[in-house]
Amino acid sequence: MIKVRKLSMRLTGGGRMVTILDAIDLDVPPGQFVAVIGPSGSGKSTLLGLIAGLDRPTSGSVELNGINLNGLSEDELAVMRGRVVGIVFQAYHLIPTLTALENVMVPLELTGDRDAEARGREWLKAVGLDERARHYPAQLSGGEQQRVAIARAFACRPPILLADEPTGNLDQTTGRLVIDLLMRIRKEQGTTMVLVTHDADLASWADRVITLVDGRIARDQQGTPAP
Amino acid sequence: MTPMVITRRNGPGIRVLLAMAWRETRGSFRHFLFFLACIALGVGALVGVTGFSAGLEQTIRKEARALMAGDVEVRTNRPLSEAGEERLESLRARGVRRTAVSELVAMASNPKTGDTQLVELKAVEEGYPFYGLLATEPVGAVGTLNDPSTALVEQGLLVRLGLHVSDRIKVGRTELTITGVLTKEPDRIAGAFSLGPRLLISQRALAATALVQPGSRVRYRALLQLPAGLSATDLAGELKKSFVAADGAEVNAYDDAQPRLRRFLSNLTTYVGLIGLIALLVGGIGVANSVQAFMRERLDTLAILKCVGADSRTLLKIYLLQTLLLGALGSLAGVLLGLALQGLLPDLMSGLLPVRVERSYALMPMARGAAMGFLTALLFALWPLLGIRRVPPARLFRREVSEEAPMTGGDGRVPLWKRSGNRSDRSQWISALFIITALAALLLWQIGSLRIGAVFLGVLTLSLLVLGGSARAVMALVRRIAPRSLVLKQGLANLYRPGSQAATAILSVGVGVTVIVAVVVIEASLMRQIHDNLPTEAPSFFFIDIQRDQQEAFKRFFAGRHLPVELTPIARARVQAVGDQTVSAMKLDGQPDAWYFQREYVVTVQSSLPKGNQIVAGSWWGAGAASSTPLVSVEQEAAGHLGVTVGSTLTFDLQGRLVTATVASLREVDWGSLTTNFFVIFSPGALDETAMTAIATVRVPPSEDLAMQRAVVAAFPNVTAINIRHVLDAIGAVLTRLGQVVRLMAFFTVGTGLLVLAGAIATSRYRRLREAVILKTLGATRGVIIRIFAVEYGCLGATAGVIGSALASLLAFVLLHFFLELPWSAELVRLSAGVFGATLLTILTGFLATYRILGQKPLAVLRQE
Repeated sequence: MIKVRKLSMRLTGGGRMVTILDAIDLDVPPGQFVAVIGPSGSGKSTLLGLIAGLDRPTSGSVELNGINLNGLSEDELAVMRGRVVGIVFQAYHLIPTLTALENVMVPLELTGDRDAEARGREWLKAVGLDERARHYPAQLSGGEQQRVAIARAFACRPPILLADEPTGNLDQTTGRLVIDLLMRIRKEQGTTMVLVTHDADLASWADRVITLVDGRIARDQQGTPAP
Repeated sequence: MTPMVITRRNGPGIRVLLAMAWRETRGSFRHFLFFLACIALGVGALVGVTGFSAGLEQTIRKEARALMAGDVEVRTNRPLSEAGEERLESLRARGVRRTAVSELVAMASNPKTGDTQLVELKAVEEGYPFYGLLATEPVGAVGTLNDPSTALVEQGLLVRLGLHVSDRIKVGRTELTITGVLTKEPDRIAGAFSLGPRLLISQRALAATALVQPGSRVRYRALLQLPAGLSATDLAGELKKSFVAADGAEVNAYDDAQPRLRRFLSNLTTYVGLIGLIALLVGGIGVANSVQAFMRERLDTLAILKCVGADSRTLLKIYLLQTLLLGALGSLAGVLLGLALQGLLPDLMSGLLPVRVERSYALMPMARGAAMGFLTALLFALWPLLGIRRVPPARLFRREVSEEAPMTGGDGRVPLWKRSGNRSDRSQWISALFIITALAALLLWQIGSLRIGAVFLGVLTLSLLVLGGSARAVMALVRRIAPRSLVLKQGLANLYRPGSQAATAILSVGVGVTVIVAVVVIEASLMRQIHDNLPTEAPSFFFIDIQRDQQEAFKRFFAGRHLPVELTPIARARVQAVGDQTVSAMKLDGQPDAWYFQREYVVTVQSSLPKGNQIVAGSWWGAGAASSTPLVSVEQEAAGHLGVTVGSTLTFDLQGRLVTATVASLREVDWGSLTTNFFVIFSPGALDETAMTAIATVRVPPSEDLAMQRAVVAAFPNVTAINIRHVLDAIGAVLTRLGQVVRLMAFFTVGTGLLVLAGAIATSRYRRLREAVILKTLGATRGVIIRIFAVEYGCLGATAGVIGSALASLLAFVLLHFFLELPWSAELVRLSAGVFGATLLTILTGFLATYRILGQKPLAVLRQE
């Protein structure tokens, strides 16, 4: 369950105050898939980052599964992410010096999982990359890198998955494959998902579509997910 | 739903942390080569010196009996008193064997040619040496040692006097037959400094020379060999009690293992070790740089790890483990390098040591050196590693977060001390204080002396502040220069652009320049003092041991040659009491002033104040006014150490006779004048009853040196002529030897400085590559890019050279002027060489670190972007 209350983010840029998010209220029930769309600079990625506890809001609060992020220190936020949130980025953000398998193992190892390697392999298999376990990110295609990132995001079976333009760097066909994979695993795991995208087609897959304009929710549309 | 509670979990175990640390290292091993090399070089320098010192100690302890040639030695500067003799004789009943050794300097000559040579004469008797090997060529010559008509000599003496084995040599009033060449003498400690070659004769031959007269300068050594079951230490302790007071004797047991020699060598290795320590500290700067650059490259990785659940503590553990592994690896390499250096030092120090030093594989110096390297790496890496806490995971979303900020102290380029006092700043202050304190403690631990350590730390801190401050000032100045040439503009801009490592590079190279230039300048000043700066009125000869009945003849001898001669009566004395307190009752062990109470003073009687002396307190006795009670004038510094002032009384032991005198004045003495100067001068009549010899100083044109020496020796066989020039040459030779060792160590510091420089330049490789490629696409030739780099490296080197040389000059001035009280000269040639050398080496190192950039094809690089 994600609960966002009066969430605002203001930054100072070029000597003036810029409002990125303006008093956002949002409730996402468990298992729901929410797509956040909107033009560039509307605050989509910032909202996602604040929900992930990657940054502090200027005001307002975020609650994940009953935990108010405002009360957590930076380190507690990191621990919370390891348990509660999986993140998929547009630019994949794999660690370049680690192999595909090692990248997937990292969150498992951080939680002290003794079977990190075996579970990492399972997840690589789940995303169809078990043959590429020993390859480094630079040796993988963009689509493969994003599949590794998805495996990593789901590795600890988090109740919430946050995805920031996961197909933004991919061609249409590869993007479609990646989305299929994301959807399949989300369904299997029953994960709550917030996905930020420019792609209206992709958004149409969601249970609910929120449109952000100038840091405010311009539209909150409950929809029927695409097949 | 029940809210989840976030608690700090135990996190990953050590196995996982190690695996993560290894994964982070394996892909960046080339990056860490500088880290490893910096630590290895520093540890190598330390282990080399401390291992050598341990080997020396080990050798001296092992050879202790041979180095003494006995179990116990009783050493005096005059023949033993009757009571003393009886005391030693009584030991025979306990099975103790005894042999007497006398050592003095004297003149030897070739009776056929009249050529003369100052020799270190040693007279021995049956039984010598009790331990160790006395070797001669031919071997059988050792057997002739107790023959009163023969002598054994060092090869050098044969060469200098044009003599051969079986020729005759004249010593004092007698002639002896040379039966062999001395090749090994167990107890000749004075390896570092000797006045002349050895002449070894029997005690009976010494008596025949008539060299030993009352007041002659002779060192008497009674060597004892103990029966099994009698402890040398116990007997020495027993003898100390009965001898010190009566005979002014120094008693040593062999297992004290040459305390004086060891103290000298330990001081030497401590000071040489300090230079090694500087090398390690410069290496530490390299480590900090390397880790900081690595962390900067890893900002994204750190943010990703934080996104997937790593807290700062876990990340800090991973990178600390990595540092520890690298520190251990670098230290291990350093230990191996140190062992190699240890092999070099004995050859470099061969002329300074009485023994052939065994290579030591003692674990302690190695472990200590490795621990120093390990901890230095850790402490220097800690500050950049602490920046991990400030890496925002949000940087993966928002790129406008400064790339520099997290690793340079949080708030971009605002220095720590200028920031407001929030909680995070306070914790940074605490971290910084912890690191500095721990480093200081580490240095003190290595140096092992609070006093030397404190001075070292003080000088080091000041030097670093001066170097760092000057480097920043130069950068600020360069920023104001606006040259029109593209090459100059780009080259200079490289020095101050964001992320520039110029200040660190200047600091590191500057420290190396400071050390090497300071060493060279001080050595040059000392050598200049020895060879070129003799006062014009300095005498060319000292004549010693002129007996009372020879003094008139001696004066006539020189008057006949129209050479002014100055005779000064002297006697040897020890301080017996200061006021009412006897020296034997004072607790002087380990006191810095002890030397002033325990040394033997050469004292004189003068009616008028000697030239170059100035009264600073009290008044000089009037000429011809003999006081009813003896008066003394004491050199002001000695007076300070002895704790006496005008009106105090001092009791001297003058060869068994006690004389109590009142301090009438304190004097300032110009010791650099090289004339006969004295700590203690008695008033006329005070020493009438003391057997006094005379010393004389004569100034002879250099061309007449040899002839004069021959004539004096022929006329006064017992008088020893000491040629000042030769003595100074001998001191110069020792200084040169020492200089070689110190310079070798200083090169380690320079080497580490250059490594830090290379590392700093390498960290900006990608930026340089990008810029070079863009310039190439805009039409710049490879020559232009080379010139841009040359301007940058040249400026770095020249700045480090100028600041380092200036600081070296200042340090040399402080040491020479305030501590050695010697004149300081600017040594402009050497300082210029320092600046030029630093510039050249920096340019070379810079190009070695970047030459590959020059050949890169633009398109390949631009595609990668």
